Amino acid sequence: MAGLTEHPVLGITDIKEESNENKATDKVVREEEGEKEMALIAGNSIHRSGSRPQLDLSGAAIQGNFEEKDPTILLPNQSDDISHLALDIGGSLIKLVYFSRHADRSSHDKRKMSIKERLGLLNGNRRSYPILGGRLHFVKFETNKINECLDFISSKQLHRGGMDSRSWHPEAPANENALIKATGGGAYKFADLFKERLGVSLDKEDEMDCLVAGANFLLKAIRHEAFTHIEGRKEFVQIDHNDLFPYLLVNIGSGVSMIKVDGDGKFQRVSGTNVGGGTYWGLGKLLTKCKSFDELLELSQRGDNRTIDMLVGDIYGGMDYNKIGLSASTIASSFGKAISENKELEDYRPEDISLSLLRMISYNIGQIAYLNALRFGLKRIFFGGFFIRGHAYTMDTISFAVHFWSKGDAQAMFLRHEGFLGALGAFMSYEKHGLDDLMVHQLVERFPMGAPYIGGKIHGPPLGDLNEKISWMEKFVQKGTEITAPVPMAPPGTTGLGGFEVPSSKGHSLRSDASALNVGVLHLVPTLEVFPILADSKTYEPNTIDLADHSELEYWFTVLSEHLPDLVDKAVASEGGTDDAKRRGDAFARAFSAHLARLMEEPTAYGKLGLANLLELREECLREFQFVDAYRSIKQRENEASLAVLPDLLMELDSMSEETRLLTLIEGVLAANIFDWGSRACVDLYHKGTIIEIYRMSRKKMQRPWRVDDFDTFKGRMLGSGDKMPHPHKRALLFVDNSGADIVLGMLPLARELLRRGTEVVLVANSLPALNDVTAMELPDIVAEAAKHCDILRRAAEAGGLLVDAMINIQDGSKEKPPSVPLMVVENGCGSPCIDLRQVSSELAAAAKDADLIILEGMGRALHTNFNARFKCDALKLAMVKNQRLAEKLIKGNIYDCVCRYEPSS
Amino acid sequence: MGPSDGDKVEGSSSGAGEDLRECEIEGKMEGSVDQISHLALDIGGSLVKLVYFKGNNNCSDDDKKGERIGFSNGSGTYPILDGRLHFAKFETSKINECIDFIYSRQLHRGGCWHHEAPVSENTIIKATGGGAYKFADLFKEKLGVGLDKEDEMDCLVAGANFLLKAVHHEAFTYMDGQKEFVQIDHNDLYPYLLVNIGSGVSMIKVDGDGKFERVSGTSVGGGTFWGLGRLLTKCKSFDELLELSHRGNNRVIDMLVGEIYGGMEYAKIGLSSTTIASSFGKAISENKELEDYRPEDVARSLLRLISNNIGQISYLTALRFGLKRIFFGGFFIRGHAYTMDTISVAVHFWSKGEAKAMFLRHEGFLGALGAFMSYEKHGLDDLMLRLERFPISETYSGGKIHSPLPGDFNDHESIECRVYAT
Repeated sequence: MAGLTEHPVLGITDIKEESNENKATDKVVREEEGEKEMALIAGNSIHRSGSRPQLDLSGAAIQGNFEEKDPTILLPNQSDDISHLALDIGGSLIKLVYFSRHADRSSHDKRKMSIKERLGLLNGNRRSYPILGGRLHFVKFETNKINECLDFISSKQLHRGGMDSRSWHPEAPANENALIKATGGGAYKFADLFKERLGVSLDKEDEMDCLVAGANFLLKAIRHEAFTHIEGRKEFVQIDHNDLFPYLLVNIGSGVSMIKVDGDGKFQRVSGTNVGGGTYWGLGKLLTKCKSFDELLELSQRGDNRTIDMLVGDIYGGMDYNKIGLSASTIASSFGKAISENKELEDYRPEDISLSLLRMISYNIGQIAYLNALRFGLKRIFFGGFFIRGHAYTMDTISFAVHFWSKGDAQAMFLRHEGFLGALGAFMSYEKHGLDDLMVHQLVERFPMGAPYIGGKIHGPPLGDLNEKISWMEKFVQKGTEITAPVPMAPPGTTGLGGFEVPSSKGHSLRSDASALNVGVLHLVPTLEVFPILADSKTYEPNTIDLADHSELEYWFTVLSEHLPDLVDKAVASEGGTDDAKRRGDAFARAFSAHLARLMEEPTAYGKLGLANLLELREECLREFQFVDAYRSIKQRENEASLAVLPDLLMELDSMSEETRLLTLIEGVLAANIFDWGSRACVDLYHKGTIIEIYRMSRKKMQRPWRVDDFDTFKGRMLGSGDKMPHPHKRALLFVDNSGADIVLGMLPLARELLRRGTEVVLVANSLPALNDVTAMELPDIVAEAAKHCDILRRAAEAGGLLVDAMINIQDGSKEKPPSVPLMVVENGCGSPCIDLRQVSSELAAAAKDADLIILEGMGRALHTNFNARFKCDALKLAMVKNQRLAEKLIKGNIYDCVCRYEPSS
Repeated sequence: MGPSDGDKVEGSSSGAGEDLRECEIEGKMEGSVDQISHLALDIGGSLVKLVYFKGNNNCSDDDKKGERIGFSNGSGTYPILDGRLHFAKFETSKINECIDFIYSRQLHRGGCWHHEAPVSENTIIKATGGGAYKFADLFKEKLGVGLDKEDEMDCLVAGANFLLKAVHHEAFTYMDGQKEFVQIDHNDLYPYLLVNIGSGVSMIKVDGDGKFERVSGTSVGGGTFWGLGRLLTKCKSFDELLELSHRGNNRVIDMLVGEIYGGMEYAKIGLSSTTIASSFGKAISENKELEDYRPEDVARSLLRLISNNIGQISYLTALRFGLKRIFFGGFFIRGHAYTMDTISVAVHFWSKGEAKAMFLRHEGFLGALGAFMSYEKHGLDDLMLRLERFPISETYSGGKIHSPLPGDFNDHESIECRVYAT
């Protein structure tokens, strides 16, 4: 009996699906294409500066690769020639992970060097070897379109270390010994093809090794990588890295492997099942005639499994079987109703069949996984593999099974990058991948233009430069796919999704499953660090507003959508209002609207989403379309106007008693904070008067008590009471907000007061522009200008190295006085109106070590984020609330109410 | 209770080769015939199982005298009725045939036509299975009897406990085509895992008489095999599907480990190249439709999928509770060699040889038997340990109830027993 020699069971991750008949013809085609490709590479190489043959957009409008590639940041790879590409070639999908290296943007200007020197950044207390920054990209192709994958690799020269590799010489043949790490069954099957087409060998890595390495990397390096999925709700989970092991990793490919992971490289395959993704697809194909796995999944979404599954209620005449805890709706027998004699296969809806099948297989996997977790005492079960694909029902069913069988003791968890475990693991197997000791805080995930459309699914051939991106966006729109936020996108019509595995013929949505998660590009920024004086960095959550609340989400989407036309106007104007700028502006608007629409449709599409992330997304999107600084001219104008009235203000302040002055300074910060282009209400105000008029009017209205008023406590710390003179703070970090009056008339005078009291002041500003926020690059000039009228500022700025270029003529004047404490400027490492203190620049982290006072100013940094943050030192949070909803929600107050929250170090 | 008497078990190979597939356990029943119901039902989602008792001289006026054997339990002598327990099955979808069968034999009246009296208003028949609820009205209407619903699990366990204790060589293992009877030490029977494979699968941890807990189960069971099998092969019956699977080759449709790794062994994780990596995994091939596969191969792959899966979950569940023995029962198995073999192989594979799957000769009738046991006065429960071999008895035959069962379901043995009232 044949069966007796067979072994039961188990699961392997990948698929080999091609029949023998196909192979012969395929080969011929490949050879032909191979020749063409060689020619293409040769031709391409000559013109590699960007004049690659234009893509035929009519047929491949969305086939582009939308990863961002910003030439202004990209620098040649300086170190070595290792390959930056790894592959996981499965039976249905090819997953690519590749790394593009970007040098640290650290500039070498004297001012910065001086700051670094002062903060001890150049003296070897940092790591002794450099880690290059870069980006980790995730791309997928269908295995049966492997040529697209080869074209992609070839056009980006990934097999030669990428286009940014200096070692790449177009004319030189590929190195005989060039190796690319690969895993998955296809690494064997397609080895010859890679050799032939790209001249590289595939270095096969063990599949399990890769899976585990990939999962360990993701779980340790990416915050909120894991999530639970219960009844359609995703909840991101932060895993404590010290308490990660052991866990059960369930990889659902064609079959299912269950792996007990005890540590890096320490794991054991403990179980599996032969009933997996291949079973779903295989049986589904036989039963429904679906053409693809995704089509089958999509069908299931409209199915009703009750027509085919026999439920407990069907057997018990509609009653529950309470005694053993089964409800009437529990499935007693999958496909049990199909035994009915008067119905044939044709009499059942394919939708229902697909759902029954999906339910049966998901539930079974969940059950077996739980039993194995239990057996080995594992608390956590992570599910990954192509079968899941972010499909909500699949995840729900698995979660339900685990929950049901464990009676709530165990939870199923999923990974956002679940499809890329193997490829990432293969990448990690390079000896010098440089990601070994990468920390969570050094990774920033960004979602470039294409993200909302492709949903982390298949990418096609690359769209290289900005012009191609814009063309694509215009094409997309022309074809009748108007993108309007915040409503979900309309169908793409005949736009065609040629290169994608989404079946274009169906055309009701851009994705086969709206809940599929999008995967962004991971930016590795080695210079980022955790802000060292957070009271508890483990429990710190930057966002005050939880966008998981759908009404909150909707509100902010509306705010951002309404603000969009104005922003586009500003952006276009900032680039001179040219036709090119207008085109880019349109493309930006559409791209950003598409992000919003995607997030409205699936709020967790980009992972855990806070308001800070949303606001940063907008800034990144602007930068993607090369709007370097949309508010540049506005900021300049307001800075000038404010600086003009600064001397008068300083005189006024100096005439006051110490106590009055402190109050006036705080009032001034709050009053000046009204100048905020991020607030609709304030933009309207601008039409009503000049800056100084508004400032004075605003300050006059600063009637105490404010809505949150800890001024007296703060004053007590600053001035003491009675005869007791408190010692001044050693160093204050001032997180500044807007340009213009806010910085010049609000924060600078406050900084001056601190300096006068002998406190070192570090002005902390954005690294990159966001709205009208002042940047670290702009601050030294503003300070220099202000210093012209103020001796205190001048001497402090000088001491802080802010006035490197000048002022020699003034130096003799200061000889009589003792040297001033320094006024310094550091960048915060981000380009958002908010700040996530888990990821700040190394300079800021260094500066913070000696700080004993933190002042956070403005809505973005003191309210939207960090309102609830606790620090190891004294903290003052100052802001005017320029949003009615936020005022009600946060302080039960009204628009223009003020917050002066002082929290002494505990 | 009486020390000396006992029921007897008889193995017989001379059973009916006819359409009707019945097993009989001969026994003796004591007491007034018309006071004791002789019929119990297990109405499942796919099949109706009947167990009924028939005296050797049924309905004769002198049955009480002639068949009686003196029996003393210290407090008196009780009448004992010799007879047989009969077993029959019907498809649930043809429940009317079942009702006709009961009516034609007057089983609901104790099996005697000459009882002229109308069916008592209070006549009840013990029944279990989900259909006991669903078809209660139908039985009332057609036969005028009420169904007294017995809990399904109670019945399964009572039936299994009865069989394992009362019937010599009830349990057996099945490996590589070899059936091997296992003598279970009655004192070391508990705890065990009872896996009942009906339309769905229930896994019950049994700790003693009436002491048990449903600890697991799966919806992938006999109903799945039959349901999916019907859709995929157009078979007309469960048995036809089983028959088909016997002739099939699952390698045509299942993806084996060797096919993913180019024929290489994937020894590192202990998988051989012939291990199934993905059931139906080859069916994703683009150029083949359902019609291009032989129904035999499809049936075989399906059977392996379901048997493997049940074997695996059963083993993991047994492991969880530290149970040494796993008994498989339910209509899915039906003594079908290939099914038993795949389940055995799965248990063997996952337990690395430490656990063995065991099967019951009367596997399909656990529930019905348990329902029968639930009559308060049948007296069987006290006799279990006192079985004797009885001579071969004729199997009841006649009537075409449903299609014959294939395979080598153990013999048409009958169990003769004595039943007496207390």
